[in-house]
Amino acid sequence: MKPFEAVNWNDPETDYTEMIWTQNTSQFWLDTEIPISKDVKSWVHLQDEEKETYMRVLGGLTLLDTEQGNVGMPLIAQHVKEKQKKAILIFQAAMEEIHAKSYSTIFTTVASTENINNVFQWVQEEKHLQYKTATIDAIYKNIKEDDPYSLYQGLVASVFLESFLFYSGFFYPLYLAGQGKMVASGEIIKLIIRDESVHGVFVGVLAQEVYQQLSIVEKQEADRFVNDLLQDLYKNELGYTENLYDSIGLTHEVKKYIRYNANKALMNLGLEPFFEEEEVNPVVLNGIRTETSTHDFFSTKGKGYQKGKVEALHDDDFDFLNQRVLDTTIK
Amino acid sequence: MSTQLPQWIKLNNEILVKKDSSFQYEKDREAARSYFIDYVNQNTVFFHNLREKIDYLLDQDYYERELFDSYSFDQIKEVYDYLYTQKFRFPSFMSAFKFYNNYAMKTNDGTKFLERYEDRLAVVSLFLAKGDHKKALQYAELLISQEYQPATPTFLNAGKKRRGELVSCFLLEVDDSMNAIGFAINSALQLSKIGGGVSLNLSKIRAAGEQIKGLDGKASGVLPVMKLFEDAFSYANQLGQRDGSGVVYLNIFHPDIHEFLDTKKINSDEKIRIKTLSLGVVAPDKFFELVEKDKDMYLFYPHTVYKEYGKHLDDMDITAMYDELVNNPNIRKKKVVARDLIIKIAQTQMESGYPYIMYVDNANEYHALKEIGRVKFSNLCSEIAQVSEVSVINDYDEPDVINRDISCNLGSLNIVNVMKNKRIQETVHLSMDALTEVSDRTNINLVPSVAKANRELHSVGLGAMNLHGYLALNKISYESKEAIDFVRTFFMMVNYYSLERSMLIAKERGITFVGFEQSEYANGNYFTRYLENDYSPRLDKVTTLFEGHYIPTKEDWIRLKEEVQQHGLYHSYRLAIAPTGSISYLQSATASIAPITQRIEEREYGDSKTIYPMPYLSDDNFFFYKEAYDMDMFNVIDLVAEVQVHVDQAISTILFVKDDNTTRDLAKYYIYAQKKGLKTLYYTRTKKRTIEECISCSV
Repeated sequence: MKPFEAVNWNDPETDYTEMIWTQNTSQFWLDTEIPISKDVKSWVHLQDEEKETYMRVLGGLTLLDTEQGNVGMPLIAQHVKEKQKKAILIFQAAMEEIHAKSYSTIFTTVASTENINNVFQWVQEEKHLQYKTATIDAIYKNIKEDDPYSLYQGLVASVFLESFLFYSGFFYPLYLAGQGKMVASGEIIKLIIRDESVHGVFVGVLAQEVYQQLSIVEKQEADRFVNDLLQDLYKNELGYTENLYDSIGLTHEVKKYIRYNANKALMNLGLEPFFEEEEVNPVVLNGIRTETSTHDFFSTKGKGYQKGKVEALHDDDFDFLNQRVLDTTIK
Repeated sequence: MSTQLPQWIKLNNEILVKKDSSFQYEKDREAARSYFIDYVNQNTVFFHNLREKIDYLLDQDYYERELFDSYSFDQIKEVYDYLYTQKFRFPSFMSAFKFYNNYAMKTNDGTKFLERYEDRLAVVSLFLAKGDHKKALQYAELLISQEYQPATPTFLNAGKKRRGELVSCFLLEVDDSMNAIGFAINSALQLSKIGGGVSLNLSKIRAAGEQIKGLDGKASGVLPVMKLFEDAFSYANQLGQRDGSGVVYLNIFHPDIHEFLDTKKINSDEKIRIKTLSLGVVAPDKFFELVEKDKDMYLFYPHTVYKEYGKHLDDMDITAMYDELVNNPNIRKKKVVARDLIIKIAQTQMESGYPYIMYVDNANEYHALKEIGRVKFSNLCSEIAQVSEVSVINDYDEPDVINRDISCNLGSLNIVNVMKNKRIQETVHLSMDALTEVSDRTNINLVPSVAKANRELHSVGLGAMNLHGYLALNKISYESKEAIDFVRTFFMMVNYYSLERSMLIAKERGITFVGFEQSEYANGNYFTRYLENDYSPRLDKVTTLFEGHYIPTKEDWIRLKEEVQQHGLYHSYRLAIAPTGSISYLQSATASIAPITQRIEEREYGDSKTIYPMPYLSDDNFFFYKEAYDMDMFNVIDLVAEVQVHVDQAISTILFVKDDNTTRDLAKYYIYAQKKGLKTLYYTRTKKRTIEECISCSV
């Protein structure tokens, strides 16, 4: 019998695993840290169509995060061999659950129980949403033991989900937050995007590694698979977007954004972009820049804070400080 | 549908979309223009002439009638005409947006503008001049030239019939009794209602586990009190406009200090987590001494201290009393490791930005009112350092003993314009007059302790902004010797002229602040450093900057000292350097004396998001606009320390660090700031490297 091995972080698997782990864990957050109740004032000023879209957008995102946390990440983690990578994937799965819950935190704060139930009903009935979830789910469940090809398919599905399919939903909260509406909820979405961008990059790197293990024939098949899946999901995403955004006249803008992110997903997989470059709405684009933005301390939490690295003071620190005080005193 | 994205927001956001590999700065002016044409003009109520406008605004209860009755119409018209002929134009979308979004008076339903920038300046000028038409014209010139900017509450509210208060900043002592806590909560509610930021000193509250009515272990400590305040502030939200804001300060020798800090930790229990309340730690020099010597540190249970000495722990000079307290068996104590505590502060700051730190011994060492009382805590933005005295709140059948809490009204000089116009004496004098007027006309009777302090002490806080803007404009690095040389002279001059004006007001009115005779001004000690040191420029480049300015000499200081001793001062406190959020955007200035955080800022400010290139930013001075996160914080502390010499209150100082800084790095900054004589540190901001940056250096 093969002995059980413990994960050994003293022996790095690659030069990036520990870095990804650190990045991921240092940006840990909880939905309850963000004062969502501040958005109630903004919420009452939204029109009914806007509220409906907002709720549905979040409903759709909840479903995708549920799929990713309950099925996608655990299955991928099960089939990826290296233990440190598994650890990262499991941590990411846990974050997906926090994402899924945080949409509910927004719901609970701004909407009535009846409205919330309606949205979850809508999630079950919206055919595009069901279709994309079913498509991804089937690929995940098809991953087989010791089969790089099906694992590659699963990793591609995961990257598409993280870097592509979420963004028809992310668009609206970013669009509103950029105009000073639903800012605290926007903050949650930005924290989610900050996580998803790490997930997308990491899983994309794993996919590229697995791809290298494929035979030439398998590689050709895999390329065709990626292209077919992209086309299929893209077509579905267009329909989804129309359903969601026609009533508030943003469909056109969102479709551009979808293509923009589809390209990003392909790049995470190490592939060439497929769609022509277009001008994406700058407000939304600026919303996903993940640098720390300047913010009013009394209003929102800000993406800039994170777990700190602890290091003790040294005795010679004081020699340095005292010397500097002497050196900088103007006589 | 209202979902259409406004053109000006789109244009403003396009600044960041690179074209031919450079930012599109010019989009900002386009955005400002579009904002005027497509939005402001279309949403401004039209009047045929000034008289029609003023009559309407008075009839409809927008403006205060007594104010306009104190001038003839011709006098009023002269002020408006003067302002409109100056042809002021907002140089950036941010400044225009700030004004119209936050300051311009709107119709009651909030849909249309009733004022332009010039109108607001006219009303503020008329208000401050109190019927003196010549003075109103002077204020108008001061404001339109943007040499001086009153703080938000004054600028927003002056002259309105239905208005909030003119001062924004309050500090309250909280005594160790249920009556006092109830009184403080009521005061916090009342002050939040009128738009104030409130700071509370919780250091007198008995610690968790102390006695109540002689029974051990009954007291719950400061945490539940913090929760009460947090809820009070979120309830008082000014008609839904903005939640009240508050900060609580705790002395580092209070035994609840660990739990106090834990309320901001990311993984703390929901029941104890404090989300919206800000925290400040009051740290005497003794703490830093124990840290340096790597010693254990005793925390003192405040109720046992009070019972033993009849005096509150935080009313004492803890540094001087430390050994006595340690050796007194009647004082209950808790032992901790000093270095662990400073690391914990650093860790909490990295996770949350809090706490602020007050170097209380530095504040008291150079305190001009040291014979009158101690400075014990600071305010929401950590620029206030004044004496305070706890009131005694009794039961209904016994009168309260009301003592002095703190209020402060603020305003800021725009360094670029002050230097350009070369009339700094006049500018500082007029600015002091504007602040004095606000203090004289403020009476916060909702909170008697605040009203009493204002009545007796007339404290104000004149600050400054646009320092980094000024340096960049003159191609001086923020971290250079020239920068330090400049602020030494500049703030010496501001100090000189503010003292001079305060003395002249006291002379004119025959009134000084209560207790002047006991102050360091009266005995002359305050002036020692100016008689011993020469603060005029030492470097050629800086000497050139001051060409055309008269710089007060030692002889001037000797004369001023004599005049102050003879006539007294009207103000107990004069200077304080605030962080200047909104008003520096309004002035297209860099904030306070702080370095910029981004050359092109992406600003989230509660209810709006805007892209803001720094003032005068161009390819020419790009290099001189070094971002704060790239600076050495020791250099920033050195600069603030030079300014602090000339500022009788404190300076809001923010530390900017990257996410690879450790708790040790931060702790070194705290210690250094203490050694350099800073009175406070505001929060710490961490810049997170983006994932692309991390990946690109690794994969």
